[in-house]
Amino acid sequence: MHSYFDISRFWLLMKLELFKSRRGVAMTLVIIFGLSFFLGMIVDLAIEPLTLVFDHYENYTFSLLIGGFILSSLAFHGLRNTLTRYQFLMVPVSAFERVVCMWLLTSLGWILVFTLTYTLYTLVANTIGQLLFSHVKFNAFNPFSEQAFTPMKYYFVCQSVFLVGAAYFRGYVFPKLLILLIVTAFIALIIAYSFMHDVILADDHTVEECDLENMPSVKTVWTCAKFFFWWLLAPINWVLTYLGLKDQEV
Amino acid sequence: MIEINQLSYGYKRKQEALKSMDLSVGPGNICGLLGLNGAGKSTLLKAIAGLVTPHSGEIKTLGHPPYKRDPEFLREVVIITEEFTLPDFSVGKYIELYSPFYPRFNHTAFQRYLEEFQLTNDQKLTGLSYGQKKKFLLSFGLATDSKLVLLDEPTNGLDIPSKSQFRKVVANAVHDERTLIISTHQIRDMENLIDPIIILDQGKIIFYENLESITQKLSIRRTDILPKEGVIYHETYLGGYTILTENQSGEHTHMNLEILFNAVVGQKEKIQSVFNQQVNA
Repeated sequence: MHSYFDISRFWLLMKLELFKSRRGVAMTLVIIFGLSFFLGMIVDLAIEPLTLVFDHYENYTFSLLIGGFILSSLAFHGLRNTLTRYQFLMVPVSAFERVVCMWLLTSLGWILVFTLTYTLYTLVANTIGQLLFSHVKFNAFNPFSEQAFTPMKYYFVCQSVFLVGAAYFRGYVFPKLLILLIVTAFIALIIAYSFMHDVILADDHTVEECDLENMPSVKTVWTCAKFFFWWLLAPINWVLTYLGLKDQEV
Repeated sequence: MIEINQLSYGYKRKQEALKSMDLSVGPGNICGLLGLNGAGKSTLLKAIAGLVTPHSGEIKTLGHPPYKRDPEFLREVVIITEEFTLPDFSVGKYIELYSPFYPRFNHTAFQRYLEEFQLTNDQKLTGLSYGQKKKFLLSFGLATDSKLVLLDEPTNGLDIPSKSQFRKVVANAVHDERTLIISTHQIRDMENLIDPIIILDQGKIIFYENLESITQKLSIRRTDILPKEGVIYHETYLGGYTILTENQSGEHTHMNLEILFNAVVGQKEKIQSVFNQQVNA
């Protein structure tokens, strides 16, 4: 049997983790759909009576990201204290199997399950919405559209940060990680401003709209940042997650 | 089964819980691990189970460096700690989810243990009392047929009949390829169960002998008058003394583990001279 990865052991772990997280996932979905329906749709339409067309993509993006980040930050919940660590660390699986398992469940698994249930939710929500707000046209939610696919891509990359947090922080992972991200973002903004203050102070709306051809250094930094985000950030985080899990002690 | 050479570990720098420890434990034993609070018993169990990484020295459990937590190693080691939490499953669901990780899991033996401890498959783990939870974990741990079972204060929280059940179940669960290590303060609960006896003090092993050797070299008896010479250790009781002396008659007496423990911790040098072994101060 392979020390790092064994498919039968892996499926046993998947089954175990799915069963353990069943209530957390169900509660997250109920809360998300409740908020999306009452706050994101009913209240939104009630306070903006001039709305003539309603679609679900904004709510979808917000719910996919927040719900997924919360679940990802709970990925290694067994590490939260000394007592739970004993049981977590003594299960005969490798750290690699744990990382792959939780990555599959919280990344691809969450995207698939959430998108599917969200699609079903929009069918119900649109029907009820039409009865309550007859003057509004409710657009159908298309999970294969660009508007749905773009948040999935961002979630796929950003979610890895929360997996790292789950492997390193003991308890209160989500708030601790948010604080860390805010501090990091603040520092990154200061650094970015020192490099790109001409761009930031210009009237353009996005960096892409700027005339980067005339600012080669800024263009290089921006290209590197984009490359880092889309191609390096997630793999680095997966490796960090593995290293964090591998070195756990009680 | 367990080979430890010059092992050191500490939770804080300059504060070592285990100090240059040497230990070798073979299969087919129920070892008693005794020591005062903070002697390093739980830390030693954690090191053996791979739950801490040594700062220096070598440790091999079942031929593996335990801190690497290889799954093949983990399925041969079970640790039942004094404090624990259990998931919100029924007994049956727990077995369904966890037992497949242990290829030799014996479902028949598990059901037998449950019956012995008066537990049923449909009971919720979170609804069990502390003692029942411990019995459940013990049943699961023994049914895995893992080669090494580490028990930290297993009789704490058990009522008197349960302690007898515990002794019976544990005594029957050991076999030639399996070793149990029981760390405890409840020395009396372990009489006639543990052999050999390992005593830790301040992160070091100060005593490691089997019962045969102990009763060969030491003798315990009660006297009305405390002899002036030859007493290694004594305790008073109503109307007399319990004394521990060198066994010069060759007759084997019943070894009171509590007296032995107190003697070893309190009279290291005298015990050392009897066993002619290195006792680390």
